Parts: sequence; structure tokens; C-alpha cells
Amino acid sequence: MSNKPPRIWVSNLKPAKGELVRVRAQVEHPMESGLRLDTNGQVRPRHIISKFEARFGPHLLLSWEPGVTISPNPYIEFTFLARESGELVMVWTDEQGPAIEGRRTIAIA
Amino acid sequence: MRRRDFVAGGTLLGSALTVPAAWAQAQPQSQQLAARLLAPNPAEFRRQWAAFVGKAKPVEEGLRLDLPVLADNPGAVPVGILLTSPVTESVYCKEMILLTELNPVPLACRLKFSPISGTTEVALRLRLSQSQTLHALAQMSDGRILVARQAVTVAASGCGM
Repeated sequence: MSNKPPRIWVSNLKPAKGELVRVRAQVEHPMESGLRLDTNGQVRPRHIISKFEARFGPHLLLSWEPGVTISPNPYIEFTFLARESGELVMVWTDEQGPAIEGRRTIAIA
Repeated sequence: MRRRDFVAGGTLLGSALTVPAAWAQAQPQSQQLAARLLAPNPAEFRRQWAAFVGKAKPVEEGLRLDLPVLADNPGAVPVGILLTSPVTESVYCKEMILLTELNPVPLACRLKFSPISGTTEVALRLRLSQSQTLHALAQMSDGRILVARQAVTVAASGCGM
């Protein structure tokens, strides 16, 4: 897979306590559905990211299980309320390859 | 060139032309395979729906599905799902699924939330094999099942998946 780090946008890295924080994240991945044919008429084998987890400190914020319907270069947007300072850790798990990880530190202003 | 050679050459050329014809016969086979791969799976749709809903009666409230009525790119249809009712420690959305009625694999994705988030909102992008209705189902911690549906028309597809 691509070695590019995930693209991550956070609405505010220094939010006020209780502020809604929006996160947009995307990784490069073909998300091959296993439903397409190559030029020889053979089925291209399925190869997708099958799990995404977003944690804030010890808390699991969101767990996402994409299927073959999810577009290539999977994009996910989610929100949470800032309650404390800490680290937002996002992990994409490839069915076959290594996991991709992205982190952002969020400090309550 | 002697006439005999010319005729022999023509025969050779003729047999060479039949090879692409055999190849053309093979083409419909792969087209059939492609069509079979993209065929809707209504049985799987009903199974996923029933497995998620269980004995509950889904209610059409508290959940909003944001997607275009006409999507210009079937390979990346933007979909937003938003829980409009407030999230509390006791009443929150535990799990959501997004079902596509006519895609070959109806279950688009599964999402699990925690009350820690304080809000429940996601956006993602889907591939759609044809125009159809999307169904978002949310399971609340108090046992309610919320549903939101919307039809979406996509531009000519098949390569969308």
C-alpha cells in the first residue's frame, strides 16, 4: 500500500471544554471490492480496509467496519465533544497489509 | 506475385481473422460474469435488516440521512448520518448500519458509538451499482431502532463498484 500518512483535519485542536470537535480523515487505499474484472476477464481479488477505530485517550469514540461498498481512498468524518485534553488516535486496519495510524493532540483551551 | 501465392496468402489472412472472432465470443462471458457480480442481492438485504432490527419496530424519527438526490459520481456518493436526538449517558446510539437496497453487497458498513462522544454524526462515501434507496438503521441503548431512508439517483454506472 501507499506509505503516505493519513490526511487528517480537525476543526479545532484547542477547543473550549464541551465544544463540538469535527474530524475528517482519509487514507489512500484501492478498496478493491472483489466485484471487478481485470483486462483478462478475471476477478480482481478483494482487498479492503475492514476496520477503523478512533480513540481519545482510553475511550473508544467510534468503530467503523467498512464493507466493499465504501469508496476507494476511504473517507470518514465524525464528531465528539471535547471534555479533556488528550490524544486522538485513529487506526485503519487493512485486511492484508499493515495498519495505518494517525494521531492528533487536542488541548482544552 | 503469382496468383497461387496470393490465394494462399488470402486463406492465411482469413484464418487469422477468425482468431479475433473467437476472442469476441469470450467477451460476452466476462460481461456476463461482471453482470453477475453486480447483481442485487435482496435476500441478503432482508437478512441484514432482520438481524439488526430483531423483534423491534423501527421508528422513522431521530435519525437524519444526508445525501444528494442526484449523485454525479456513482463511485463516491457522499452520505451523512446524523442522530438528531440528544446523546446522554443512558440514551445513546450503540450501533448503526447503512444498507443499500440494490448493491451486490447490501451492507455498506457498520458503525459503533459510545456515549463518551456526546454526539453521533458520521459522513462517508459509497459506491453504488445503480439508482436505489439507502437505509440507515440505528440501535439505541434503550432498545429503540431508528430508521432513515432516502432514494438516490446515480449517473450511468456499472463501473461504480
